[in-house]
Amino acid sequence: MRRWGLCFVPVLLLALFLTAGAAPAQQTLNAYSIWPENWARPMFTEFEKATGIKVNFIRFSSGEALARIIAEKNNPRVDVLFGGPVETHIAGIKEDVFEPYKPPAFAELAPRFRDSQAYWVGIADDPLVFMSNNKFLKEKGLTPPTSWNDLLNPAYKGMIQMADARTSGTAVTRIFSIIEVNGRDENKAFDYMKKLRQNVQVYTKSGGGGTIPVGLAQAGAGIFFIVDVLKTRQEGYDVAISFPKEGIGTSVEAIALLKGAKNAAVGKKLIDWAASPAMQNFYASYKINFIPAHPKVKTEASLAEIIKGAKIFPIDEEWAGQNRKRIVDRWIKEVLP
Amino acid sequence: MPDATAVAALNPSDRLRRMLRDPLLLSILIILWALLFLFIAYPLVSLLVRTFTDEGKLSLAGVLSILGDPVQRQALWNSLLLGGLVGLCGTVLGFLFAFTAVRTNLSKGWVLFLDAAIILPLISPPFTTAIAMIFSFGPRGLITYDLLGISGFSIYGLHSTLFSETITFFPIAYLTLKAILSGIDPTVEDMAFSLGSSRWRVFRTVTLPLTVPGIANAFLLLFAASLADFATPLILAGNSFPILPTQAYLQITGLFDLKGGAVLSFVLLVPAFAVFLLQRFWVGRKYYVTITGKVGARTEIKSVPPWMRCVLLVVCLLISASILYFYALLFYASIVKAFGADFTITWRHYHVVFSEGLQAIRDTLIIAGIGMPLGGIYSVVVGYLVCKKEFISRQTMEIVSMINYSLPGTIVGIAYLLVFNDPPIMLTGTAIIIIACYVFRYGPTGIRTTVAILQQIDPSIEEASFSLGASSGTTFRRVTLPLILPAFFAGLGVVFIRSMTAISATIFLISINWTLITVRILEKMTELELGVAAAFSILVVLIVFIVIGAISLFLRLFRQPGAPDMANILGG
Repeated sequence: MRRWGLCFVPVLLLALFLTAGAAPAQQTLNAYSIWPENWARPMFTEFEKATGIKVNFIRFSSGEALARIIAEKNNPRVDVLFGGPVETHIAGIKEDVFEPYKPPAFAELAPRFRDSQAYWVGIADDPLVFMSNNKFLKEKGLTPPTSWNDLLNPAYKGMIQMADARTSGTAVTRIFSIIEVNGRDENKAFDYMKKLRQNVQVYTKSGGGGTIPVGLAQAGAGIFFIVDVLKTRQEGYDVAISFPKEGIGTSVEAIALLKGAKNAAVGKKLIDWAASPAMQNFYASYKINFIPAHPKVKTEASLAEIIKGAKIFPIDEEWAGQNRKRIVDRWIKEVLP
Repeated sequence: MPDATAVAALNPSDRLRRMLRDPLLLSILIILWALLFLFIAYPLVSLLVRTFTDEGKLSLAGVLSILGDPVQRQALWNSLLLGGLVGLCGTVLGFLFAFTAVRTNLSKGWVLFLDAAIILPLISPPFTTAIAMIFSFGPRGLITYDLLGISGFSIYGLHSTLFSETITFFPIAYLTLKAILSGIDPTVEDMAFSLGSSRWRVFRTVTLPLTVPGIANAFLLLFAASLADFATPLILAGNSFPILPTQAYLQITGLFDLKGGAVLSFVLLVPAFAVFLLQRFWVGRKYYVTITGKVGARTEIKSVPPWMRCVLLVVCLLISASILYFYALLFYASIVKAFGADFTITWRHYHVVFSEGLQAIRDTLIIAGIGMPLGGIYSVVVGYLVCKKEFISRQTMEIVSMINYSLPGTIVGIAYLLVFNDPPIMLTGTAIIIIACYVFRYGPTGIRTTVAILQQIDPSIEEASFSLGASSGTTFRRVTLPLILPAFFAGLGVVFIRSMTAISATIFLISINWTLITVRILEKMTELELGVAAAFSILVVLIVFIVIGAISLFLRLFRQPGAPDMANILGG
């Protein structure tokens, strides 16, 4: 008899848990956030304070979030994809996973912060920067790099970390920056990247993956988004921030509504709120070092000081979207090995 | 009922009749097959169909373009090389430790110390060894730079991946081999000694051959573990040493190419299966009975001379010390403000763990708590059936039950996500999907332990029970069950440990309702909060240590004399 009892245990437990996923009755919204939790959570708490709508969310890297959304396409589990470099959202449009929506702030945004068909809306701007370890610079007798060519200096051999274009939006933005500063002469840009490869220690999976190694002087320098760099500095690591004189790209952080979202109405409310100054005014108070997308929101003073005078240009998202796959493939074949 | 090998000659219709006469067996088989179909065959086949068709038509274009890529071919070769080397080094290291622990008359305290040190890598969350490696051996590592003064040491590549994986996985070999070695009655060796053999000859011709099934088993487990591991290479392999599981992961999450990722994973199935079949049909035939029920008084072990004992002990202690060093470093990282920059002691990171981390801790414990007994039952039932019962589809069951174990986690996770998101069976967002993933992915470890233990049990013990008039049920309950109780705890323990530490498959299965500590660790690492990640890892190690310790104590209180104890079987 005892053996029969054992067989029933799993069956009972399964039955018990089949009912466990039921949603509570209050007004809630589900989201995948590409922003790290310590930035997304305060935003969603403020949203709940303002509207009474609770946001359940979980954080994924951009690639993981999109892979999930595509896999869940026929039965979406969340309503909104929150944050993340816009190239993720552009890749999603091709997979037909988003629903166009124009929030009230749509018309006020600069064209580069909104999709022409309203599949996504920009909520922040995030430029790339050079970050180097001060101890490393001092030991090698260097100053922080101020030109793309400075990074080719043999003193950096095996000491630069940056992101892998197969997984990271940071890397894709970097590659398009390099193509742009070379006047869209792709061959010239790839020649530069192949030279730079000599100095690269490792290409990391996530965009910010190299920041701690640079902070620890395991690597000397790297190219990262400014939010990751300032976070590293806030953690206490002694790093220098600099910009190349030829210019460097910046990427839009976006938000999008999912096609077939079960709570589409509340999802739209979150998008309304996120695209407006209502949310973006909180960036400064929570020390989130993004540059606000909405023209009426002022950039926090110390962040404005850092980017003052830097030559930052937007990536032409339309051109980038059309050429992304080809260029990443070429990068994998020619630069990575 | 006689032993399985004795009835192998029966023709199919006899077997069918036999099955129908045993309604208990039949109903268990039906339930098991339903579960195996649902959680192994169905997701895998759906994924296969998606991979090899294009708009309803069979298409091999995607497959061929992946296989034609020299980088991917190199990755396959690298994976095999890495798996083979990890299998080899890990088995050697595991044998060394097991031999030292069992054959050198160590005092209880030493054995406990070795067990504790060795078990650490086994119960650690992903990435921990890899991170400690970078801290220690990076260009500015504590060891390479601060201690040895080497600057510009290259940490990325085969050597450090191999080292890290060997340290992480060799406990599996140790635990498997320790169970086998301690199962060998020293009187067998004594016989050879009394016939005048030298110690070396006894080792070569008696001890070693008796452990061959264990060695092969350990090699298989390590090879499979290395093939499926993506976390370590992701951090340590660098860019010049691509390997398949990482390539598959990058293909899916980076290039949004689910098909390509699936193809790469299916390529991995080939070597995983080849090793499995080799183990099944080559090693499986060497059948050693060492628990005979006729054991006399245990005699002192004489197989190792005193000087050899010292050498072995020193080597083991050095390796254990380096493992402990890694964990001391991890603990240190969890109590300083920012490792490498600000060494002020702080409990801040633990505060974060116990405030915003509480939901993950609760969810993980619930999932591990439910998965544990299910994993134990599943592994013992399947192990017992495939080893001791004769029924139609026995071999198929054994092979099918191994599939999720040999597949890389990424692919299992994606397959589950794809099939359980849509009707008819919607499980995404529930805890069941995570529990099922753990049970069917890590249960095979328990199944193999059950099989290994059952193969060591002389059928005459069961035959004696039958000839005294006991029924099949009574024999199982009174004779077989106590003997395989350790395997039950092995299955249970492994599922618990994996629920606390695995990430590759479940990263796709967590949801808004159910999240896991390991995912929080990865998350904290991407948020660049190494201190919090380290604090979470320490917490995981502590929880697992306590639970495994409790199980081990419980087992020691209730086990039958002669049965191996908990620590011996966890890895096997």
